[in-house]
Amino acid sequence: MRRIQSWREGLTVAAFLAPALALIGLFTVAPGIWAVVQSFTDRALVGRNAANVQFIGLDNYAQLAGDPDFSASLVRTVVFVLLSAIVGQTILGFLTAYLLATRPRWRLRFSPLFAAIFLLPLAVPEAVAALAWASIANGTEQGFLNRMTGAFGAEPVQWLQEHAMATIIVVNIWRGIPFAMVLFSAALEGISREVLEMSLVDGATAWQQFRRIILGILRPQILLFLMLTTITTFGIFGLVYFLTRGGPGDATTLIGIYIYLQGFKFFEIGFGSAAATVMLVILLTLGVYYVRLMREQA
Amino acid sequence: MPAVASPVTRPMAKLRPGPAAAYGVLAALALFALGPFTWVLLAAFDPDANIFVQAPRTLSLENFQNAFTDAGGLGLIVNSLIYAGGATLILVVVTTLGGYALSRYDFRGRRTFMLSILLVRVIPPTATIVPLFVLSKDLGFVDTYHGVILVLASLNVPLGLWIMKGFFDTVPIDIEEAAWVDGANRLQTAFRIVLPLAGPGVAAGALIGFIGAWGEFLVPLVLISDPDKMPISIGLFRAWLNYTNVDWGLLAALSIIYMVPAVAFYVVARRALQSSLAGGLAGQ
Repeated sequence: MRRIQSWREGLTVAAFLAPALALIGLFTVAPGIWAVVQSFTDRALVGRNAANVQFIGLDNYAQLAGDPDFSASLVRTVVFVLLSAIVGQTILGFLTAYLLATRPRWRLRFSPLFAAIFLLPLAVPEAVAALAWASIANGTEQGFLNRMTGAFGAEPVQWLQEHAMATIIVVNIWRGIPFAMVLFSAALEGISREVLEMSLVDGATAWQQFRRIILGILRPQILLFLMLTTITTFGIFGLVYFLTRGGPGDATTLIGIYIYLQGFKFFEIGFGSAAATVMLVILLTLGVYYVRLMREQA
Repeated sequence: MPAVASPVTRPMAKLRPGPAAAYGVLAALALFALGPFTWVLLAAFDPDANIFVQAPRTLSLENFQNAFTDAGGLGLIVNSLIYAGGATLILVVVTTLGGYALSRYDFRGRRTFMLSILLVRVIPPTATIVPLFVLSKDLGFVDTYHGVILVLASLNVPLGLWIMKGFFDTVPIDIEEAAWVDGANRLQTAFRIVLPLAGPGVAAGALIGFIGAWGEFLVPLVLISDPDKMPISIGLFRAWLNYTNVDWGLLAALSIIYMVPAVAFYVVARRALQSSLAGGLAGQ
């Protein structure tokens, strides 16, 4: 690598970067800024307020603060992130990575086969994942899940109606385990065998080795995964929308679905943009922390 | 390492939580991972499929045949190929150019620049979808192939830049410098010498871009309302909403057709994906 030495070189670099930056700028950064600006207006998608847009200051935010549906969707999103991403994916993803990893005195057969199976939920497109769950969560007696529970004598359940939130949490755990497993497997591979050997020689039990050594070494990676999964889960849309469209009622209206409905069902661009701005602020705050973590690990 | 005592001499049986329990846990998790696909798999090969899980009385490829011959099914497949193929092509071109510049040239604020790109990555389309729709409408992008392709390509540019830069970093600059001495100019060396060496990286970037665009749901949901231009993801969703008047066997077969390239590419690109998710992103 070398420093840019002339204006011609500077121009070359700019030209090389321009197409990529144009795409990011046009389709991510500009819409983000636009959302913030529109959040101070009464813009609508159609009708009078589509053409005649007025600045209304912080009215949208005042309305947002007083909207029980918005605060409910925010709380729902936090619960969803907490249970599915932070607890479910992290624990089960780590467990699979830990069991499949080879270390002194621990080697399981069929590890590659298991790893391949575990990757499947993440490898399939979002719509297939959702359709697969939609089909097995079918509320009739012949639904796959109901047949399984029926084998134990349980009554058939309308999973996506009666337990919609619990079901989407389980679905998101299912989809997120592979990502956690892949990250943690790479991290576990990086631990030196000598360190593990020595700890066993020193008489540590497997549990002590796990708690004092492995968890200690992997702390940065665990933190990094928690940040990444929190950020991606917060912005989730397709998987949940396909399954429930936010319902029944608003039982599964997470913040992403709330924003979508404000824009495309109620056509409230200004108000929806205020909700989007809140989401942007939360994600960028988490993002700054994530970037800092990445910088430290570099 | 002779200094380390051989651990084999010590009785260690009590340390094992027992592989049997481990296999039990893994088997349970494997069932959890595979179970939801039961209906898709059975129904796809069942000529009399419905939404219930049932063992097919006869196995046939009829549903797959229908998916390719039925105008609706084939249209969805072709559209998905156009969107994902176009987006991948654009992504590869722009991130190869950008990644090369970021890898080879230093400039003031380069590090901050790289970290800002990383920060852009945390903004999901969910947060910007309404302005994105309004903007696309103003640009005349709604219900057009080129518009949706550009938007889909843009989603993976931040990640793509990081991946490409990482791969170009592994090609030593000495090789290039030797070529300059021989009289080749910077652009020639970039194309003739560096690009072939970074080929596997470019391929990995392409696969990751394809998987992303191929599976995207929200962007086509919002930007496409013309049924003739819908990709598979939206086709599946609309069929599911329709519910009463659906050929379930065809739908299941279409799901399989839809997931096969994604899974295959995922397996091939897994290493690159892994390093880009974990260490690769850490770069500098």
